[in-house]
Amino acid sequence: MSSIIKIPFGPQHPSFKEPENFMFKVDGEYVVDVTPRIGYAHRGIEKALEDRTYILDLYLVERICGICSQAHTTCYTQAVEEALKVDVPPRAKYIRTIVAELERIHNHYYWLGIVAHEIGFETLFMYTWRDREIVMDLLELLSGNRVQYAMNMIGGVRRDITPEISSEIMKGVKVLGERMEYYKKICSNERTVLTRSVNVGILKTKDAISLCAVGPTLRASNVKRDVRADDPYAAYDEIPFHAVTYDGCDIASRIATRCDEVIESVEIIRYALGHLPTGSIEVIVSRLVPSAEIVSRVEAPRGENMHYLKSNGTDKPERYKVRAPTLANLTALCKMLIGGYIADIPVVIAGIDPCFCCMDRLTFVDVNNDKSWGWKGEKLRRYGIKWYKKQ
Amino acid sequence: MVQETIISLLQIVIFPGFLFFIIAAFFYEWVDRKFVARLQNRYGPLHTGPLGLLQPFADFLKLLSKEDIIPYAADKLLFSVVPIFMLSLPFTALFCIPIVNSTAPISFEGDLILVIFITTLIVISVFIGAWSSTNRFSTIGGMRACLQMLGYEIPMTIVIAGPAIAAKTLSISKIVQWQTAGFWFILTQPLGFIIVAICFLAELQKIPFDIPKAETEVVAGWLTEFSGKKLALLRLAGDLEFVLAGSIMTSLYLGGPSGFWFMPPFVWFIIKLTVCILILSNLRGLFARFRIDQLMRGVWKYLTPLALLQIILVELIPW
Repeated sequence: MSSIIKIPFGPQHPSFKEPENFMFKVDGEYVVDVTPRIGYAHRGIEKALEDRTYILDLYLVERICGICSQAHTTCYTQAVEEALKVDVPPRAKYIRTIVAELERIHNHYYWLGIVAHEIGFETLFMYTWRDREIVMDLLELLSGNRVQYAMNMIGGVRRDITPEISSEIMKGVKVLGERMEYYKKICSNERTVLTRSVNVGILKTKDAISLCAVGPTLRASNVKRDVRADDPYAAYDEIPFHAVTYDGCDIASRIATRCDEVIESVEIIRYALGHLPTGSIEVIVSRLVPSAEIVSRVEAPRGENMHYLKSNGTDKPERYKVRAPTLANLTALCKMLIGGYIADIPVVIAGIDPCFCCMDRLTFVDVNNDKSWGWKGEKLRRYGIKWYKKQ
Repeated sequence: MVQETIISLLQIVIFPGFLFFIIAAFFYEWVDRKFVARLQNRYGPLHTGPLGLLQPFADFLKLLSKEDIIPYAADKLLFSVVPIFMLSLPFTALFCIPIVNSTAPISFEGDLILVIFITTLIVISVFIGAWSSTNRFSTIGGMRACLQMLGYEIPMTIVIAGPAIAAKTLSISKIVQWQTAGFWFILTQPLGFIIVAICFLAELQKIPFDIPKAETEVVAGWLTEFSGKKLALLRLAGDLEFVLAGSIMTSLYLGGPSGFWFMPPFVWFIIKLTVCILILSNLRGLFARFRIDQLMRGVWKYLTPLALLQIILVELIPW
């Protein structure tokens, strides 16, 4: 009988920035099985959304995620605006796009640093996080906040982009684009990075589609699916860009996809700033939202973000549901982990850019959580006994 | 007679004895941290003492005052003995290195083998510490340390034989004396110097070979359960090992304390040791961490044949 050791990863683990539990069964250095247990950061945000007015909900939705806050509020405001049948002024749409792309740059720099840290490349981690300061400063200049920009409001945006800010952003994104070209060169040439990323955490195209992966994880498995292009929102229908795909299906492809997305984002921001329409940035809207059922989708930096709104004519939503990208990627993640090495666990988990806090705010997770508890208890024990007997 | 006893006692306790080694260990930890920090565009230690020079010492004192926890399930005797054991090993080895003049405090025919043996013992005690702490992460860390040792130990031992063959002696002091009379071995055996540097990175468990304590994978690896005084001693032991690695490289390939001009030999030794430490630190800043299987494959596929090639070259070329 081979020796199977069960290793818990999390809820507290140095490679996780947020609480999450993965129970790994390992045989030597190989991962045999993995069971995720989610729900450690469940805060009942969806229920709280139902108790507050639409205006107050905006602040709550902003706080679903620290990094994708623009994506979540865009998704939320879009849903409410559609229910209100309000058209947002084009200038506001462009500003939303610019902030969303800055946020994407921020997220991808942050992610690259984390992946570098997970594979033990401390120098790259320090460099990317230093450069991340540039984009955070730009966002502060634009919105007043380094994180949780609070730019969106129902019917438009809160702050305008002046020509001075515009030229600052142009300067900043130029540096960011150049630096990212450099990091991309490092990541595709440096041998130690390649040995840790090529053919690691394989997610084949077929599996990626059948397991409903989203975002850069999906696009790195050579599936061209991007909400910005497929179902354009904000100003994406007027801005030329292409969705980046790679066909390596591994960590190296995910790194390359995100590096290219940053470069693409820089181009989008340049175009948007150059073609910024004139006019107002907001429209006044009613506080009472007529009854409707809306599903709103946004391409967050981590993948497709889906919000569902059911309104009933009052100033509070009757039901609100959030599906964050990490939840969609979780099943695909388990697929990537099995058959790999222990040493690859952190980088593969980091590879989907997990944000467990976003994910755990969902009521849906509670149901799932109960299920996974049941599995963990008696069923897991039985499964274990059966598994050992087979050996 | 009494005077001689006092002098030899001072030599052992103060210079070049325990006190000097400990100060050197703290100093080179600072050099390492500061240098890597500057490579990574950070400041590194800054506040404790001038330029943060006292930071490693402050860390040491802080750890000494922390609570010392022994896990309930641990093998208490082994768990407590391992830090002391690990600290004494590099000390012993350092006494075999000639620092002040070309003869070490402990010098006999065959001390090179003793030093190599001690570097192996350090890894064995790592494994004992990991095993006795009965933590899953420690166990995996200890296993990885041993696996890693099976990889780098062989090319390292083969290649260290190079200077010994060329100088026709197994004593580190005599190898240094040979180099003082002749030339430094780095000139004739550069390949050996590179291989030894790579192997010492693995021995010291530094990036890219910090696999046994890869924090993102196995928390602190074999160190996970150690805390307080024990962790302080283990960290000091690690620093001493770092100094030992630099000293061995200096002695075998850079001629030890031999030099020219007016400077005393001891200063030359410090300069060369700093260069070696900076080489090790620089490598640490350049790479990402390998996986254990990648390390083993790389070591057996490339380093061992290259080490053999180096030895063949030493045999073939008359000098």
